Amino acid sequence: MARRPSTASVARRTIVTPVLLSVLLVIFALAAWAAGSRPFNQTVIDIFLQVIFVVGLYTFIGNSGVISFGHVAFACLGGYVAAWTTIKPMMKSSAMPGLPDWLMQMEIPFWAAAIAGAGFAAFWALVFGAVLMRLSGIAASIATFAMLAMVNSIYSNWDSVTAATSSVVGIPIVRTVWPYLVAAVLSVFAAWAFSISRHGLALRAARDEPTAAAASGVDIPRVRLVAFVLSGAIMGAGGALYAHSIGLVTPDTFYLGLTFTTLSMLVVGGMGSLSGAVIGVLILSSLIQILRWLEAGVAIGESSFALPGGVQEIALGVVMILILMFRPAGIMGNSEWTGRLPRFAKPGAPGPDNRSQPTGDQT
Amino acid sequence: MSDLRADKVSVAFAGLKALSDVDLSVASGQIVGLIGPNGAGKTTLVNVLTGFQAATEGAVRLDGQPLSGLKPHEVRRRGIARTFQGGRLFRDLAVIDNLEVTGVGLGQSRAAALAEAEAMLDWVGIAPLADRIAGTLPYTDERRVAIGRALMGRPKFLLLDEPAAGMSAAEAQDLSALIRRIAGEMGCGVLLIEHNVGLVLGLCDHIVVLDSGATIETGPPAAIRASEKVRHAYMGTAAETDLPVLEAGLEVEA
Repeated sequence: MARRPSTASVARRTIVTPVLLSVLLVIFALAAWAAGSRPFNQTVIDIFLQVIFVVGLYTFIGNSGVISFGHVAFACLGGYVAAWTTIKPMMKSSAMPGLPDWLMQMEIPFWAAAIAGAGFAAFWALVFGAVLMRLSGIAASIATFAMLAMVNSIYSNWDSVTAATSSVVGIPIVRTVWPYLVAAVLSVFAAWAFSISRHGLALRAARDEPTAAAASGVDIPRVRLVAFVLSGAIMGAGGALYAHSIGLVTPDTFYLGLTFTTLSMLVVGGMGSLSGAVIGVLILSSLIQILRWLEAGVAIGESSFALPGGVQEIALGVVMILILMFRPAGIMGNSEWTGRLPRFAKPGAPGPDNRSQPTGDQT
Repeated sequence: MSDLRADKVSVAFAGLKALSDVDLSVASGQIVGLIGPNGAGKTTLVNVLTGFQAATEGAVRLDGQPLSGLKPHEVRRRGIARTFQGGRLFRDLAVIDNLEVTGVGLGQSRAAALAEAEAMLDWVGIAPLADRIAGTLPYTDERRVAIGRALMGRPKFLLLDEPAAGMSAAEAQDLSALIRRIAGEMGCGVLLIEHNVGLVLGLCDHIVVLDSGATIETGPPAAIRASEKVRHAYMGTAAETDLPVLEAGLEVEA
């Protein structure tokens, strides 16, 4: 086997993955644009938002191996930043009278709100993470869940600033797919850049062998914290854009429902793989959409055919069980999509156990 | 010249003494052997020296500075590296990435770590394995990768925990030559824990023998070879049919 050509090659060897994933996302955006149907357009926007959330989750969970049930809290923080900074001051003053004056008067464009949401979420990820990242395994998972419950509880009760559990309406709605596409592509590239960075490498090593990583000089809580803050920022931006996609926020928009959909998409796609994060979303979202159409009824010639209501949830559950039965590490396992097909016959990695397959740094 | 020293180190697990009053010192370029029957406390001592286990009493000093309270990664950054029984490679990463992890762990950029890792693979003699996934390597190659990973950043001391376990005589010979080069060419102080007593006697300048957590003999190889106490310790423990106390100690250690 030949020696590696040069030191700057890690990026060059692996950039094909985010590029291919972005191409895939562009294809979805073009389909929405070409179809010109409003419901389909909204579906594709939802898919892009899910991509942002799941890629945000992957950035932390995939690299650290620590399952977080709390990341949707950062989406909540971002979503409310969008509400605070983009709703017309008049509407704000009646719904959320307790906002400080400078925030009350603020009216910034949606993309600036997304950046602000990312920054606000990253700040709180730093604060929470400084404590949480010392924990491992199930203790860390439970603690992240506690963080979600805390954020939800604060936002559901702080009447004067978050309007408590009532919907905060009047967030300018952005209906075109392009901003969401740009954000999804940016998050894919951010996640890729992190995973090939020195912190990403150290964190993956700590995921596989924490003891040996510590003996290699890796400060595990610190590298975890870097990933936590970056993933918090991605979730925060996603939360702000989510608010702009539907025009309103409530604390429960960002709670258990979103937590479990995004986590299951990550698990089905393959927790240790950026490609898995994106492909998991695309496959499951497309499936949900097809089942919705079938439930609504499809006209075939004279007659029309419709599945009974509720089949959507059942079929989705069955598909997820089947995928996890046959590919327990998810569709992509730990490997990345590099445009080459024969991933399964890698020399030296025999057998169907894809957990022993390489991560994105090889090929 | 550096020196790494354990002063009267004792470790107790729930009342069971795994180590009592053990002294040990390694200097730059020196190869010190640490031998003893199963459950003698050898790995516990390495854990204490590398920050994985706090000493109940006594202290570890690097050039006179106490290392107490430092976390494992901080001890590594001060130049004390170790390997583990069974390798503990990052199995999903390529061999070269395994070495790079230490580089970035010590604060290098990824490019610098990659450059050093390539040079190190050459030095250890496993350059052709660079792109192999670590989890797919045969046992003896795993050991070399683990040593290469520990040598990144040129540590002052290297603690090897049973590097020759499961090796053939020829493979153990190659390993001896590598350990000599680590001490000679790099000037690294080596602490060698090994069950292969022949290898230790042939390689080390100084040997410490532990039994049941206590030092029973120290000295140059010739003195160890001649020692009645050492012979008794090894003969007395014929395989694993040892005192129940020792086996309990082993479990705690693992």
